[in-house]
Amino acid sequence: MFKLDRKLIITASTAAAVALFTLGCGGSTGTTESKKASKISIDGGVSYPVVNDKTGPYYVNPQVAQDAPKIYNGRVPTANELKAWNKDIMPDGTGLPEGSGSVEDGEEIYDAKCVMCHGDFGSGGGGYPALSKGNAYDLQKTLTNNRWKDPDADGPTREFGSYWPQASTLFWYIKDGMPHPFSKSLSDDEVYALVAYVLNINEMEIDGVEVDDEYVLDREKFLKIKMPNRNGFEPNIDGPNALPGVRAYYANAKNFGAQNLNQGAVRCMKDCQKASVKTKRINGGITGFLPPMSDVRDLPAVKEVKVDPKEVYKNACAMCHDSYLAPGSDEWAGYVAEGMDTVYAKAIKGTQGGMPAKGGTSLSDANFKTVVDYITTGKVK
Amino acid sequence: MNNKESQKVLDRRDFFKKTAALSVTAIAGTSLVSSNARADDPAIMNNVPWGQKWGDPVTANRYGVPSKYEHNVLRRNTKLLASGNFRASIAVAPIQESMGIITPNGLFFSRSHGGVAHVDPHEYRLMIHGLVEKPIVLTLEQLKRYPSVTRTHFIECPANGGQEWRGPQFNSIQFAKGFMSCAEWTGVYLKTILADLGLKPEAQWMLAEGSDNSEMGRTIPIDKVLDDAMIVWGQNGEALRPEQGYPVRILLPGWEGNLCVKWLKRLEFSTEPWYCKEETSKYTDLKPTGKAIQHFYANEVNSTVTSPSPEIDWTHLKDGDIVEIEGLAWSGMGTIKGVDLSFDGGKNYVEAKLKGLVLPKSWTRWSYIHTYKKGDVLQLTSRAMDDAGYIQPTIDQEVSVMGVEAVYHRNAVETWEVNAKGEVNHVQIRS
Repeated sequence: MFKLDRKLIITASTAAAVALFTLGCGGSTGTTESKKASKISIDGGVSYPVVNDKTGPYYVNPQVAQDAPKIYNGRVPTANELKAWNKDIMPDGTGLPEGSGSVEDGEEIYDAKCVMCHGDFGSGGGGYPALSKGNAYDLQKTLTNNRWKDPDADGPTREFGSYWPQASTLFWYIKDGMPHPFSKSLSDDEVYALVAYVLNINEMEIDGVEVDDEYVLDREKFLKIKMPNRNGFEPNIDGPNALPGVRAYYANAKNFGAQNLNQGAVRCMKDCQKASVKTKRINGGITGFLPPMSDVRDLPAVKEVKVDPKEVYKNACAMCHDSYLAPGSDEWAGYVAEGMDTVYAKAIKGTQGGMPAKGGTSLSDANFKTVVDYITTGKVK
Repeated sequence: MNNKESQKVLDRRDFFKKTAALSVTAIAGTSLVSSNARADDPAIMNNVPWGQKWGDPVTANRYGVPSKYEHNVLRRNTKLLASGNFRASIAVAPIQESMGIITPNGLFFSRSHGGVAHVDPHEYRLMIHGLVEKPIVLTLEQLKRYPSVTRTHFIECPANGGQEWRGPQFNSIQFAKGFMSCAEWTGVYLKTILADLGLKPEAQWMLAEGSDNSEMGRTIPIDKVLDDAMIVWGQNGEALRPEQGYPVRILLPGWEGNLCVKWLKRLEFSTEPWYCKEETSKYTDLKPTGKAIQHFYANEVNSTVTSPSPEIDWTHLKDGDIVEIEGLAWSGMGTIKGVDLSFDGGKNYVEAKLKGLVLPKSWTRWSYIHTYKKGDVLQLTSRAMDDAGYIQPTIDQEVSVMGVEAVYHRNAVETWEVNAKGEVNHVQIRS
């Protein structure tokens, strides 16, 4: 029953979405439909349709929906602009350039540009991921390893060869994002060579042929790569019926380890635990926090930065001192005669005569003394 | 002292006892320790330095900064998550210090895959193309001319808590749950821009691609694009910070932070998904069946106690003190409906109280007033529910389906143990 309702709702949702863009937002067609439709979202959660000019707790301006189909604030991209930016590479080969590269060349490029982060033969290290842990077909079988009951067992190996569903991802990412500090610097042939090398260290084959040290990869061969874990993912996202499948997957909390009160889960308030549960404490754990953890409210250690006394004078002192006791003025003679320590002390603590402590600045004593030196002599030491 | 007495208006003797105790805690290390419980408080009796001289002129700090005393309230890293010399890495938010439901921009957690890009707003362009009748290129000024909306939403890295599938690892709330933050975002609904571009009916997926060093991209289903997906340029009333994708990022309310592509440059519509690096090699949840969940969009209903925490514990409390247990609850699948709190690690629960604004796909504050009994050992476990019907699973419930190798989307209940001294430790209650 529930399933049937849901199917209808999803159909209505798609219809409403299409209606929005063919009829525009102004039409009242489908309003009731969309109110119902938007209650369930593709992710298994709820969404908040606009009802009485509100979505959830937020007001919306109804003029926007009315006039949105008339707003076009930009311009159409040129053919060259599209070509320059539309460089993604899809599993079916869309965007994959012509070119070729050998395992041998790949290894040379790898040793020059990649090994310092990805390690010898892609073994990882340096904080960067491994590219291979060995034979892709064997390691794909480790994906059912789960250290759930035996913490010391081997975990699953999720490297390129054993885990990734598509080879196009590797080509695309190397082309766009590698080498990490100098991305988008490799030619198509260099990328082919690196991909060939990565296939080689994962001990993979293409169309029944081992990618050995002599192998030369090109576009045609690339499109024949079958990843060992191609069918290792759920829900299905390929083909024209992908979205209904994704919606159905997340409509069932059991698929993704969730508990839903509308699907039989219980909100237990008393005596909720099995006798088998224990308190598991941190054993070692992850530390090395930067900066070290602290909630202390003290004054931070301050590094003394020298100030330019003239700059300080201009900003903090000039408005009063320009007219009396200006920098280097003869008027200073009487004060300086009392000794500079006295002048410093008065300047730092302030005086009843109207001098604010440190002129109202928050400079250190040492820094402020250089300002006093400037005002009393007119010179910067 | 019994409860009734403790709730009376404090007499003078009590006041000074408390003041003395607090002063000692607050400025331990100074010579203020006084054996005389009736001593007058120097903080009241003496003139304070900032009360007798000029403060800063209003011309200081043209862009304000926190008090220098707050210098320990910081985003933090661990050496373990330092990939790419901290360029493919994360800095986590100090949620133990967080107030309300808004994270200040300077403390918002930061995750990048090729470092934080600094985009020149004059050179910024957004291209939307593929299965649309009229493709478009927008400058920043043109984009911001679309009618805007402002929404409060959390963004959470789905690996929040992902290091702890096999057992507790972080004795810290900042690291155990701080891979998230919440802000008020300003931008335009994607559906508003698309209303004119004429989305073709066969379009099922949208690629969102960043302009940063890693050209980070993700595939987004059309359902979200036409629902509440936003292109945002404002964060808590100012421009996005570079760490959040200045000048423009995608915001998919409630969904994986990784899907909310930063430094956004391109949106393309297609019939087939793209299989980007971050939706295949990573951000997929391997189950014990050997199958991995791909396109796992929403961050599920979740909650944690944030006070007390290992960072700010209860060692300073006295027997009988009344204290507020506080926490956060959030769901990427809807609005928080309620939070239950357990004092015995999830065996028995009471209802906690929600506080303040309760908004969809937003942090929600909850609290519970507790009378502290010195020496008690408590295991504080919170459990949230949302309006889609989801309730946080126990660790055993979640692990029974997901195993312990999934990395992402761990939302089982968290437990914080208060020991007899009032110290707080992160534990897990599980079979």
